[in-house]
Amino acid sequence: MSEPSKDGPPTPLSSSQPSQKSMTKAERRELQERQRAAKAAQKQQQGQGQGQASSSASSRSKAQGAPQKKSESGRPRASSSAAPTSSRDVGGAARDGSGGIDSEGPKTRGLRIFSHFGLPKTSGHQVKGDIHPAIIRLGLQFSEFKICGANARCIAMLTAFKTVIQDYTTPAHNTLSRHLMTYLSPQISHLVAARPMSVTMGNAIRQLKLEISGSDIDLPEQDAKDALCHIIDNYIRDRIIIADEVIEDLAVKKIKDGDVVMTYARSSLVEKILIRAHALNKRFSVIVLDSRPLLEGKTLLRTLTSTTPPISCTYALLPALPSLIKEVSVVLVGAHSLHTNGSVYSRAGTAMVAMLAKEHSVPVMVCCETYKFSESIMLDAFGKNELAPLKFSPPEAPKPHSNLEVLDPLYDSTPPTCITAVVTEVGLIPPTSISSIPLALGKTSL
Amino acid sequence: MSDFEIFETYQRLLKNEELSTPLAAILALTEMIEQSRAGTMFELVKELKDGAEELNLKSPNPISLNAGCELFIEFITLFPHPSANFSELKTELIRQGQQYVVEALTYRKKIAELAFDFIKDDSVILTHSYSRVVMQTLLMAHRRKRISVFVTEARPRGLGIKTAEKLRAVGIPCSVVLDSAVAYAIDKVDFVLVGSEAVVESGGLINAVGSNQIAIIAKAANKPFYALAESYKFHRLFPLSQYDLPSHNPKLLSFTQPRPPGMSLKTQSNNASEVNPHQINQEQIAQNNPDVDYTRPDLISLVFSDVGSLTPEGVSQYLVGMFAG
Repeated sequence: MSEPSKDGPPTPLSSSQPSQKSMTKAERRELQERQRAAKAAQKQQQGQGQGQASSSASSRSKAQGAPQKKSESGRPRASSSAAPTSSRDVGGAARDGSGGIDSEGPKTRGLRIFSHFGLPKTSGHQVKGDIHPAIIRLGLQFSEFKICGANARCIAMLTAFKTVIQDYTTPAHNTLSRHLMTYLSPQISHLVAARPMSVTMGNAIRQLKLEISGSDIDLPEQDAKDALCHIIDNYIRDRIIIADEVIEDLAVKKIKDGDVVMTYARSSLVEKILIRAHALNKRFSVIVLDSRPLLEGKTLLRTLTSTTPPISCTYALLPALPSLIKEVSVVLVGAHSLHTNGSVYSRAGTAMVAMLAKEHSVPVMVCCETYKFSESIMLDAFGKNELAPLKFSPPEAPKPHSNLEVLDPLYDSTPPTCITAVVTEVGLIPPTSISSIPLALGKTSL
Repeated sequence: MSDFEIFETYQRLLKNEELSTPLAAILALTEMIEQSRAGTMFELVKELKDGAEELNLKSPNPISLNAGCELFIEFITLFPHPSANFSELKTELIRQGQQYVVEALTYRKKIAELAFDFIKDDSVILTHSYSRVVMQTLLMAHRRKRISVFVTEARPRGLGIKTAEKLRAVGIPCSVVLDSAVAYAIDKVDFVLVGSEAVVESGGLINAVGSNQIAIIAKAANKPFYALAESYKFHRLFPLSQYDLPSHNPKLLSFTQPRPPGMSLKTQSNNASEVNPHQINQEQIAQNNPDVDYTRPDLISLVFSDVGSLTPEGVSQYLVGMFAG
């Protein structure tokens, strides 16, 4: 059996197609690639509308899974099972139009490098099942990036959950502690379909599940619901609001008069710290670094310069970093999550700032509440990431059927060696000793 | 309290050669409890904090002193007090404080035994300045193995010479190395052993100035760098850089104002400086330079302490556990 060639047009499938089992794994993969390319070419031939219907159908089926981790492993399985079925349909079309496809076939291969995250989600996705309107609104806000940032998303989600819990009624022959979680699961999946779940949301949901399953069976329903809402309020207050205040107190001590503080993109916590330091009459200036596609630094710049008297700020894009780093006394960044091995998962570009600061012996302080800790280990930013949706691509971006694709991962991972200190509400800790945090909080696990 | 002078007590206690500054501070605070007329726990803790503050201000080298004070005050605050009688409680606290100091004096021996396993026969050791715990370790090693020691001079105080004299008196072959010749000598050395003023939250070391330099050279030459520190020297400080230390002030390493040549003859009263108005003496240099420096945790191989041998990352874990309560 001849080896199918990698480059050049796909060989017509009219020649005897050996059964899937007799081919080696590499040959099977080659066949899948060709079939996928042929299917994409066929989509174009059949027009955009039909193509959108099939892609939205596939995205809907993908969205029905349980939380993030399961659905990610489910996606490659789903796509590989889809390929053989589509090959049977496409095989005929390819056979007929093989002459015409030769020139355009292999062009739309899709993003290979981050293909395990799936295609960037199109906005206005379908709503499946009984989703509470507060959650639908939240899902839309997430997918439109109106609510952006780990803290903001978590607080918005918990507030929406309070509404959902208050509107919930336990069905007959069921208890709140057992049924409420199954009621909330599709709501959570809807949010995950809008944007992948953040570590903060995951930790909050885990805590909520624990509280729900621990709620007293004998309590009347309204009391149980009120108790849950009270617990949610306490969680937000203790682990986010008050934690932020403690972190501000600790971090402002490290900012001295005459310092030049550099920050990247927009962290809600760093914003609070800088405003507090300014309120304490410290004289310092700020360099705000920013980058596409979200350009969040502009919001931070607006907030910092609207204090009275305004903080003197410099705004620059990421490529200006090497020229500016020599002026900097301390780098202050926020985080999306902090992992057990000490690496920090944060907005794409943070790793670059930290690495360059280390080269120039500038201390890097990461400000992070303890509820952002994840017990997993993160070695690089490829296993877990998120691509920016297509609407953030610049208008002059290449058209979909050209050879060039735009790749916009939103997060990256900073290795612990580049970080000097992590500021949490239990104090300043080196990034490598995150495992001592549960001990400090008086718990056995995070 | 004005009739109890804590700083004088502290200085009197320091005359005992065996006591290091944190232990002397703890004993001084213990004596303060004895003299105190406070009626409640809150008042007592407040008095102790004021006393510690005064010691900090008056002492030229407050970092390790501060470590001892914070440890003692933390201990007092967390001490369970079931007894209703306050004076009974005070007696108990005083007893605990004194007992701790007595036990703490055995820590050096524990550390020496721990570090002893890392010293092979015929080792060449480099040490810096004068440290009692390093001294005890070297003396113990000398009794059972053969060692030879390089000691840096440790200007401006020259305490390294004191170390060399003591070692020579016992019969350990040693040589005094210029601070600037450490890089020259490092390839002859097997490992570096230093004492400490304080070990900080980041896992880094605060020690006599020159330690950071030696650590950097040891790292470049791939030689292990070991620090010996008793557990009462662990401090919750987290310096981000050399200039973030509490001992740093803007006068250190400051540039002197250049004086125009015509004016100097009128302002100088000293005869010698009429000849050379820009003369610099050793005292000026000593005042313009730091006493302690900060060594980063990635340059340190291990910290030997009475609680065991810790990696720099482990120091933070221990500190959090100790102060979390």
